[in-house]
Amino acid sequence: MLLGPLEAASTERVPPRLGQICLDEPLQLLSYTLEPNSLHAVVGIGLVAGTLWGKPVPSKQSKKLDTRSICTVIAAFNEAGVVGPIVSDLVRRGYSVVVVDDGSQDTTGQVALSAGATVITHPVNLGQGAALQTGLKFALQQNSSYLVTFDADGQHRPSDVTRLIDALVEHKAAYALGSRFLGSSRGMPFGRRVLLQAAIWLTRAMTGLRLTDTHNGLRAMTRAGASRISLRQNRMAHASELLEQIAASGLPHVEVPVTIDYTRYSLAKGQRLSDSLTILFDLSAQKLQR
Amino acid sequence: MIAQIGLSILLAAVLIYAWTEYRRAPVIAVLSILVATAGLYFVWLPSHATRLATLVGIGRGVDLIIYVWVVISLILLLNLHLKLRSQAELITVLMREVALANARTAEPNK
Repeated sequence: MLLGPLEAASTERVPPRLGQICLDEPLQLLSYTLEPNSLHAVVGIGLVAGTLWGKPVPSKQSKKLDTRSICTVIAAFNEAGVVGPIVSDLVRRGYSVVVVDDGSQDTTGQVALSAGATVITHPVNLGQGAALQTGLKFALQQNSSYLVTFDADGQHRPSDVTRLIDALVEHKAAYALGSRFLGSSRGMPFGRRVLLQAAIWLTRAMTGLRLTDTHNGLRAMTRAGASRISLRQNRMAHASELLEQIAASGLPHVEVPVTIDYTRYSLAKGQRLSDSLTILFDLSAQKLQR
Repeated sequence: MIAQIGLSILLAAVLIYAWTEYRRAPVIAVLSILVATAGLYFVWLPSHATRLATLVGIGRGVDLIIYVWVVISLILLLNLHLKLRSQAELITVLMREVALANARTAEPNK
């Protein structure tokens, strides 16, 4: 049977690199490289990292955490129709929520505020990368211990935030990156799979990070990790830039299985093939700048 | 001779411009210096340009010079784009500070 791009990505064994931890379901095989150029030390098969056969088991460490010290950053542009329930769900779970209203023409800011978020409003639309950087800066100013980036279009599940934080705590990683290819995705069109696969290979070539999902907006980072991130790419190229900065930081990262729910709404707001060319141009242009 | 002097002045201006841009966009500056230097060389030694043009499959040396000029123009266009990006970054920083200073938090329900 021929494997499509997604299947190839999800079944490939990815050797761990310096500072990288890989989590695979359902066995949760944990591999961790300790020293540069050293042999990869397989710490244990069947190590349960907050999950046992897909059933979430909160770790002792994460139970001790004050959830208010976890700040969820949501960049939103004209998302008044969907952002309210997302913010409410996150607030109900006890997280601090910061919505960066990126110059919306609708009532996104007001809806988010009513749902319990702190709202920061860009006077004009700057782009998702700029909005995330604003949110991260605010969260750092508020002394948050853990920072989570979360999409406003309803693709992400608030329940996955716990898994990301658990992974950070248990594996002492600085970054926990959500992976739909280790977890699951519902309703992903074939074209999107091909696009994401191309992005995975490009990111591997540019950063050396052997990730299974490079453009997933659901990520968590520690305070130390977030302070090493400084996004200059205002628009969609920020996802690649962020991975470049993670690679440059040398801090350990972990991939965590998450679920992505594609809806007609989220697909309409998502990236297209033409956007990938813009991203490539933006990344190349930045290389020419200081 | 007049054309040679005119072109030399223009290429010298490109060299000075590239030198001033070196700190901000070193790659663009080095490329501009290389191309402008090559341009100056061929303006004063057109026979070499003709020989090189023939070698690379272009009919005449003057065509080669025109092509070099086109390349310079494209590099300057790219530099202009990078300048606009730098301006956009500055505006972003400014807007971010304004936005952070005006953060709003919902009043807790009593």
